Amino acid sequence: MLLSESARVTTAQEARFRIQTPNSKPRAVKVIALDSEAARLVDEISKQPWNGAAFFKSLSFEQSGGDNVKAWLNDLAGHTSDLVGEVANADCVVVIAGAGEDAASVSVIAELCNHYHKTLVALVVPQGSYDQDTVDRSLKALRPHAKMLVIAHERDYIEAMLTALRA
Amino acid sequence: MLKKEQNDLVTQTGPGTPMGDLFRAYWLPILLSEELPENDCPPVRVKVLSERMIAFRDSEGKLGLIDEFCAHRGVSLWFGRNEECGLRCPYHGWKFDTTGQCVDVPSEPEESGYAKKIKLKNYPLIEKGGVLWTYMGPAETTPPEPEWEFATVPLNQSFTSKRLQENNWLQAMEGGIDSSHVSFLHRGDLNNDPLFKGAAGNKYNLADSKPVFEVVEAPGGLYIGARRNAEDGKFYWRITPWVMPCFTMVPPRGDHPIHGHFWVPIDDETCTAWSFDYHPTRPLTDTERQAMKDGKGIHVRYVPGTYRPLANKDNDYLIDREAQKAGRTYSGVEGIGMQDASLQESMGPICDRTKENLVGTDNGIIMARHRLMRAAKALHEKGVLPPGRTVDDMKVRSAAVILPPDQHYKEAAKEALIAKVGVKQTSV
Repeated sequence: MLLSESARVTTAQEARFRIQTPNSKPRAVKVIALDSEAARLVDEISKQPWNGAAFFKSLSFEQSGGDNVKAWLNDLAGHTSDLVGEVANADCVVVIAGAGEDAASVSVIAELCNHYHKTLVALVVPQGSYDQDTVDRSLKALRPHAKMLVIAHERDYIEAMLTALRA
Repeated sequence: MLKKEQNDLVTQTGPGTPMGDLFRAYWLPILLSEELPENDCPPVRVKVLSERMIAFRDSEGKLGLIDEFCAHRGVSLWFGRNEECGLRCPYHGWKFDTTGQCVDVPSEPEESGYAKKIKLKNYPLIEKGGVLWTYMGPAETTPPEPEWEFATVPLNQSFTSKRLQENNWLQAMEGGIDSSHVSFLHRGDLNNDPLFKGAAGNKYNLADSKPVFEVVEAPGGLYIGARRNAEDGKFYWRITPWVMPCFTMVPPRGDHPIHGHFWVPIDDETCTAWSFDYHPTRPLTDTERQAMKDGKGIHVRYVPGTYRPLANKDNDYLIDREAQKAGRTYSGVEGIGMQDASLQESMGPICDRTKENLVGTDNGIIMARHRLMRAAKALHEKGVLPPGRTVDDMKVRSAAVILPPDQHYKEAAKEALIAKVGVKQTSV
């Protein structure tokens, strides 16, 4: 009996003929710590080798009237970057919040992600022996803004996620 | 994206592999009770985790799961005679009981005790909820017997089927925790399938093809919440539990039975997709049961006499391009189960995850892989038993709820996510 096309092409043997040309270009993933606890984590994670992921911390904002918000990020070398420019050039924005820490700045980042049609992923990282209320406060702050919200109990999960995203 | 060595780690489940060790820490469904329907019925060949075995029910109803091949000359005991409390090899008459112990070697004097020195490898085989389960790990770390709700409700409240799926277990399981594909692949069935249609929640699925996700760790695995907009600023949540290593449940729709899956590796290139439906508080109606037998919902129709789907790779899944064009099915393949299976098989026997491009909304899959790899390494290298083995881990349910925007589903739907005897599922 002749094999159907589906039967033939799904064999391990046929897998050898899959085109090996890379099917994606390097992507720009911006990782932003929303608070000092998250900044400590981001600092550690940034020391791993990455495919161009950019890591930031220490947000500062300045309301300049109307809807116009000027905001800055500090990269790990201490250089100041323009949040608008970083988001505009991102493929994906990942924000990291320590559980119970002030995550209010996410709203500004989310606004820019919406404006530039970028996916915003938010990770809440509980610290030590945390309580659920603390985590809930962070979730509540992040929920209206994130397309994907994850409670990440370990640093190695953040690394695994960034690796999976080819960051 | 996974590196090649990571992909090998999570997809290889044969003896001695880290993921093989992990699977051997759990009770796994391997046969339907109907496959061994009565005492002394024909034995059944089974391959699980790349080990070939024979299962039989002896003259007293004892269940046996032993090495498939006779210890004498390597004949398959599938040809064996199941009689007088043992399985006798038809080649030279060697006979084995349900523990794999050889009880008769006709060519040798009985007094010689030769038979006592021959024993085939065996695994425990127990029956629960119309399913036969085995545990293939060390006896000293045997977990509690299966207490999944579908396997503990009265049999008239449940229906379980299985199908051969011709690809690695992981790409099949990952479909079970990937809620966002429902709005595309299965959209034609939400309003038509008798086991799905009519639920109030369907309109939210159909109206919002870009759900927002929240993933939280559970003691035995994960909860993956998919959020869509409902009325009055509230959110419609569909919460999918994943319990390690391969159990998932689909969030319910209306008063339809709840359903879910186990994906059990046969070997590294095939798996058994187990599909169960049950209602926690009432018997399934004749109409529901017939629909399940007819391959509706998550079940499939079979090639007669087998558990291979009638629509399979050999007939191009009976793809109907007209139905695809008309929107009756999104992919052209009929039936929710085969819509999933056809696409997952098309990835090839073992998906090459070095080439995939995951996005932020794939975090449920990313976290599940991470937990699997971490647990497999901890067990293999340090002997740390993995999560998902306790009765509490098994007493889990999926749920569909509408919540105010400031409530977290894990807390607000906490009770809905626990299986309780006599308590109806929480559904929309």
